[in-house]
Amino acid sequence: MIIASLAFYLFAIMTVGSALMVIVARNPVHSVLFLILAFFSSAGLFVLLGAEFLAMILVIVYVGAVAVLFMFVVMMLDINFVELRQGFLEYMPIGALVAVILLVEIAMVAAAWHFAPEAPEAMAAPLATLGAGHNTEALGNLIYTKYLYLFQGAGVVLLIAMIGAIVLTHRRRPGVKRQDISEQVSRRRDQAVEMKRVEPGQGV
Amino acid sequence: MVELWNNYIWPFAWIVLLVLAIVVPLLLAVAYLTLLERRVMGFMQMRWGANVVGPFGLLQPLADGAKLFLKETIIPTGANRVVFVIAPMLTFILAFIAWAVIPFDDGLVLSDINVGVLYLFAISSLGVYGIVMAGWASNSRYAFLGALRSAAQMVSYEVSIGFVMVTVLVVVGSLNLTDIVMAQKEGMWFFIPLFPMFVIFFISALAETNRHPFDLPEAEAELVAGYQVEYSSMTFALFFLGEYANMILMSGITTILFLGGWLPPFDIAPFNWLPGPLWFFLKVLFLLFVFIWVRATLPRYRYDQLMRLGWKVFLPLSLFWVVVTSAVVVAFDLFPAK
Amino acid sequence: MFVMLQTVFPDLSAATPEIFLFIVAMALLMVGVFAPAARAAAVVGRLALLSLVVALVMVLMQDGVKVATFENMFIVDRFAIFMKVLVLIGSALTLLMSGRFFAEMNARKFEYPVLVVLATLGMMMMISANDLIALYMGLEIQSLALYVLAAFLRDQERSTEAGLKYFVLGALSSGMLLYGASMVYGFAGTTQFAALAAVLKGGEVAPGIIVGIVFIAAGLAFKVSAVPFHMWTPDVYEGAPTPVTAFFAVAPKVAAIALFLRVMLEPFGGIAAEWRQVIVFLSVASMILGAFAAIRQNNIKRLMAYSSIGHVGYALLGLAVGTSEGIRAVLVYMAIYLTMNIGTFACILAMRRQGQYVEQIPDLAGLSKRNLPMAIIMMLLMFSLAGVPPLAGFFGKFYVFKAVMEMSALSSGWTVLAVIGVLSSVVGAFYYLRIVKVMFFDEALEPLDLPSGRELGLLMGLAGAFNLFFFPFAGPLLRAAGNAAAALF
Repeated sequence: MIIASLAFYLFAIMTVGSALMVIVARNPVHSVLFLILAFFSSAGLFVLLGAEFLAMILVIVYVGAVAVLFMFVVMMLDINFVELRQGFLEYMPIGALVAVILLVEIAMVAAAWHFAPEAPEAMAAPLATLGAGHNTEALGNLIYTKYLYLFQGAGVVLLIAMIGAIVLTHRRRPGVKRQDISEQVSRRRDQAVEMKRVEPGQGV
Repeated sequence: MVELWNNYIWPFAWIVLLVLAIVVPLLLAVAYLTLLERRVMGFMQMRWGANVVGPFGLLQPLADGAKLFLKETIIPTGANRVVFVIAPMLTFILAFIAWAVIPFDDGLVLSDINVGVLYLFAISSLGVYGIVMAGWASNSRYAFLGALRSAAQMVSYEVSIGFVMVTVLVVVGSLNLTDIVMAQKEGMWFFIPLFPMFVIFFISALAETNRHPFDLPEAEAELVAGYQVEYSSMTFALFFLGEYANMILMSGITTILFLGGWLPPFDIAPFNWLPGPLWFFLKVLFLLFVFIWVRATLPRYRYDQLMRLGWKVFLPLSLFWVVVTSAVVVAFDLFPAK
Repeated sequence: MFVMLQTVFPDLSAATPEIFLFIVAMALLMVGVFAPAARAAAVVGRLALLSLVVALVMVLMQDGVKVATFENMFIVDRFAIFMKVLVLIGSALTLLMSGRFFAEMNARKFEYPVLVVLATLGMMMMISANDLIALYMGLEIQSLALYVLAAFLRDQERSTEAGLKYFVLGALSSGMLLYGASMVYGFAGTTQFAALAAVLKGGEVAPGIIVGIVFIAAGLAFKVSAVPFHMWTPDVYEGAPTPVTAFFAVAPKVAAIALFLRVMLEPFGGIAAEWRQVIVFLSVASMILGAFAAIRQNNIKRLMAYSSIGHVGYALLGLAVGTSEGIRAVLVYMAIYLTMNIGTFACILAMRRQGQYVEQIPDLAGLSKRNLPMAIIMMLLMFSLAGVPPLAGFFGKFYVFKAVMEMSALSSGWTVLAVIGVLSSVVGAFYYLRIVKVMFFDEALEPLDLPSGRELGLLMGLAGAFNLFFFPFAGPLLRAAGNAAAALF
């Protein structure tokens, strides 16, 4: 189908192009915006693959929540762009070297590309138990049964991240008035109002 | 050539026609929603609303539109031009593409996808970008403060919206919006068994659309007009249209999730004479009325109270209800089965 | 609309200590939030200690039959039990040291014990990992908790710097590990250890798998701080609060070594010839760097960092041998290493002058005149770390070298390794002896305070006694380690 392949190339080019712009853009806010575009077009690729659940989750979690907070932080930071550039150029040779080494490694691996004979069979194993159905359903069936342990483990990781964020940043400032709504609501008339008999001509 | 026509051009044109069939009435609805808001608030405040232009003020939206259209677009000197222009377009587009999955009747939907609820959630979670980009690109303190407020506010309330949706999904067993409505046909509308969730969802929808009493991103009294302070003419109009289209969208989602979509309240003689889309329209209209009613009634929240409500009240409550609902479904073996 | 899969509910009994710790961590959070603020930290600290001890009892009560549960992702065998006992002892004892320190730094928070419990949970998950994903999950749970602990004194620049450095470099190493794991998965088609072992029986191995193993080894080497992935260790050990450093030096190291052993031997054991050089390199480089770089250190926590790098080198030598003798030697080594470090860090925590904690080596000057028992225990521990007979540290090294020499019958290269090991331990002895010299022969400018609190004295005494009178423990420890090592083969 020509439309599907057109859509694929559109999303693929957008993903790669905007990923490139993330690191090339001069302005960090633009970088974040391009990052969002990259996420979004990868979601498009997921849809083309028929993984609509993953696509939506990618948009909801990464674009809708993570990148917003990214943007929040980046917008508030006062970054010296010129200095950032200098650092970039300074470390460019080393970075390029590492990239080239990794690329060569991958090329070497790919050149001698052969799988263990059992590999394709083993990879297909989890799918055998699934049967037909939407991929939302299939994912749910796997995550809550076969991968239950890992799912719970991921939950623990997030819990630790939460505790850590609170421990390292939360400060209870002294001398700040805090609103205590239950206290406000439970206040009675006699706690707030005092009746005074004022003699005429004398004031309070 | 015939093949090209049959396989590509005609389907494409057909899709465009369908999209127009949704977008054009929606634009009209948005235009008249502004009039409705002014008239209803007028009645509530015992004054006349906009009643001068045309009979009952019916031409007022056109006049407003013409005015905004003819004004000059001003881009501030220090603004980031590209982002500044993209931001209102983004808000406007997002408010409209969500309608692709909204079913107006059984089968009357542009794209009946499996993960409709997630799609709506994803699109509504993108809405924050328009505002944040606008606030940042304007290079103005008021706009920036408004953007920051809105980013935090919308992300916070999305969490509880997500949990409310999960509760509905647990009961329905499908993420397809048509399935959700059909599940309410057999039983009752979900706002009865899930009443607390319905309330949380509607209040979160107010926050999500930046409507009163949670309109802090544009709080006129403090931030002049918040993120849209630097916008004028068509760029402003796009924000305005987007915001009102979002209101309609949120009402539509509430209708589908809790008020039985296109279903009549009782499947008996006088009620089921009316066609489904009309029922859908009436329910959305009612919810929009409540939106306006809330605006005319409630004062604006303070920001810390807003955050407290979102994180300390709605989040635990909705989480608790997810657990309760799942427990009930498991305990009484109410698994939705096909 | 659902097709409910008929799955067997996982057998939870094998994982009871882990589940217990997880529930305890969440319950302690609640206790910490709702207990009166003034006492919350102390109460939670005590409860956490108690629950670590309970978990230890639960682990000891497991019978050691090999059980895999959670769809083969979690395994309990004698090896896992042995290592979990070490980790739990390490966590509990370092938690015991920490209460007074944080109280005196005015930074006592109830989250500290909770994070220690969660980190311990992660370590136990690492030790029991039987799948590459489970391995990563345990590693992340542990590491994330440790990053936070390193930065726990958030108002001190050194501590936050340590936390940040540890986090950035740790994330990098996790990335390498994941990269390697994905390579292995891509070429072998599975992440389960047992299935991997079945695929990698030897014969021709896909180069992708070799690359994957090297990356996994690099990631793990980072976690055990083996050279050349050690650069974070001195900075983090120095900057982190001292009880946290003590914790870093024992529990995570034991857990990471356990993970290293299991990953290298179970799934990749069939192709040991392919990865042996990597481990030998890590080991030799660590031994040499640990010995030489420590000489110039003046900060005792930095010195302990280099010391731990050196010790990891000896432990990895046992892994390089790869026989059950070698593994047994590693296990004994780690047990002894644990006691030496706990005792040493108890001594470091007792170093205070006018109520301020000090950590420079010259600060120890004249300790023998001020506090002779502490000086003697410190001396014993230093001798033990250096490997002077008849202290425990000597036996740790002895068994490793014995395993290496047994291999030397096959190839003369092993003799060279043993010689390098002995030489570097001689060089290492220099800086341990320097501390002894400072304590006994240098004049004090201003004497240290007497240690306050019974916990530190107790720990010093226990560690000193264990290291001095190792003989009665040697038999049971060897037997337990032998059983544990046999579980991997």
